[in-house]
Amino acid sequence: MSATEFDVGLHVLDHQLLDKDGRRCGNVDDLAIEGGPGEVPEVVALLVGPGYWGPRAGWIGRLAGWIGGGAKVRVEWAEVEKIDSAIHLKRDATTLGLGRGDDRLRPYVEKIPGAGR
Amino acid sequence: MRTFSSLQKRKVVTESGRLLGRCHDLHCELTGSKLRVTGLCVGQTAWFAHLGVRSHDKHTTVPWEAIVRIEGKQIVVHDDAAGD
Amino acid sequence: MNKIFGLALGILAAIGGFVDIGDLVFNTAAGATFGYQLMWVIPVGVVGIIVFSEMCGRVAAVSGKAVFDAVRERVGFKAALGALVSSEVVNLMTLAAELGGVAISLQLLSGLEYRWLILLAVVGFAVIIWVTSFDWLERGFGYGGLCMLVFAVAAVKLGPDWTKVGKGFIPHIAHNNPTLYAYFVVGLLGAAMTPYEVYFYSSGGVEEQWSPKDIGLNRANAIVGYALGGTLSLALMIVGATVFLGHGISPEHLGTIALGAGDPLGKIGLLLALVGILFAVGGASIDTVFSGAYNLAQFCGWEWGRYRHPKGAPRFALTWLVLLVLAMGIVMTGVDAVVLTEYAVIFSVVALPLTYVPILLVANDKAYMGRYGNGRVANVLGLVYLVLIMVIALTAIPLMVLTNAGQN
Repeated sequence: MSATEFDVGLHVLDHQLLDKDGRRCGNVDDLAIEGGPGEVPEVVALLVGPGYWGPRAGWIGRLAGWIGGGAKVRVEWAEVEKIDSAIHLKRDATTLGLGRGDDRLRPYVEKIPGAGR
Repeated sequence: MRTFSSLQKRKVVTESGRLLGRCHDLHCELTGSKLRVTGLCVGQTAWFAHLGVRSHDKHTTVPWEAIVRIEGKQIVVHDDAAGD
Repeated sequence: MNKIFGLALGILAAIGGFVDIGDLVFNTAAGATFGYQLMWVIPVGVVGIIVFSEMCGRVAAVSGKAVFDAVRERVGFKAALGALVSSEVVNLMTLAAELGGVAISLQLLSGLEYRWLILLAVVGFAVIIWVTSFDWLERGFGYGGLCMLVFAVAAVKLGPDWTKVGKGFIPHIAHNNPTLYAYFVVGLLGAAMTPYEVYFYSSGGVEEQWSPKDIGLNRANAIVGYALGGTLSLALMIVGATVFLGHGISPEHLGTIALGAGDPLGKIGLLLALVGILFAVGGASIDTVFSGAYNLAQFCGWEWGRYRHPKGAPRFALTWLVLLVLAMGIVMTGVDAVVLTEYAVIFSVVALPLTYVPILLVANDKAYMGRYGNGRVANVLGLVYLVLIMVIALTAIPLMVLTNAGQN
């Protein structure tokens, strides 16, 4: 299996997540890394959700994260199918716990006529 | 477990105190289903590369093995780490 | 043949949709204050919006990413969050001004009470956007906006001194009141290079799944559409100069602006002007509200799209609904629509670099864009406009304060 090298902050962080059906389900807000100095560190998971905005933008990030609902979802690296301009996932968003905001809102939206056309 | 955000923006200094720059990114190697971190992207050119101004492969990468310890607000590396 | 027809329709819609309330207010006021001396600023603004839109469109076609996707990926989370907040504030101000404009034109056409018309307009928009297919929406408002061409007819009929008009195309600085002149330069450029337009354009491109082979056609659409639309701005300035400057009238109400067309063309001119304003500003409202929803959705990674049924993108739909309600709240306070427009335009000038710079960087990134990255022409223009945008962004607020928002 050939290896690919890239800078993870440039090619993975802040990129759009797409589930197996091509549904947009969040951006990569942070990455979980296991392993420290003297070990072989690995990116083990993608961290998704406004709950992860605090460490990235100080108090403004925390405030925005709080307004955004503070959700935190951890997506294991093994769930990643491929990386091109977006991060494609192997399974669907709901199973992974992503896109919950849309799923929770959908029943209300569907009640209004014309929503499904 | 650490996060990318906790490593980003930290100062990278050698054991003897020389400041190499800030860590702007992590260089990684994707083998099969494992994404290994191989080094730190350090310095001004790394930041420009992230913005897309300079070429992506021409910045300073400090190999992960060169890290002595991660403490407080900085990452301490071996003195000969930035052997461009 | 079909492609040419489609292009022609696209251009017509672009002309009808070019003018928004910022253009209406600033172009006529500029003509009413300085005559033809500011004519040269309009082509500068038109080229600016073409350059910005073209880059955003090309980025969308090559990378499949709209403006805020690119901004978030490139400039770092903190800066992107700052850009998001400022663009949403400016968008909301612009939307409120546009809604005010719609309500005023409805009032002038119907004689009904202003506050009820605001409510009617907002409810009307909400229903129309929810139910109508976007293509019909765009076409409907675009073609209705073509009534604005009555200003072009009026401009010619008023028989301005064409030598003087021509001289106005040579860039120069007015000797009397240079500060006020500079304020108008900034305002005219801000009214032409509206950020919401590029967010809207690039998001549309992503939705329509432009690929590199669409770059040429869309470039043509943008260039021709904006250039022709720009002639409407020229017409507005000429009308402002001939009708208002001569009589010492300051066009502080949309009704006065519409009368500019009524003056040479009588009642039919006035009617067409009001209908044109209604559709042009109405169409702009829709573009603006979608832009606000696009930016938030793209930053957060939500599902989004104007072609998508609301149940396919619930948070996106909720966002534009909430933006409409918030904007309605602002207009209901009774704030003058023209004053609000001036503030919206000036603030959008200040926020312009926050999205222009990332796009210029991304459009230049060869690793991202491959062979479709900025060539020499695009970069020369891109850099010239970068300097211009930075200058007006820095001088906008001081000039607004110094001239008391043009009330000097």
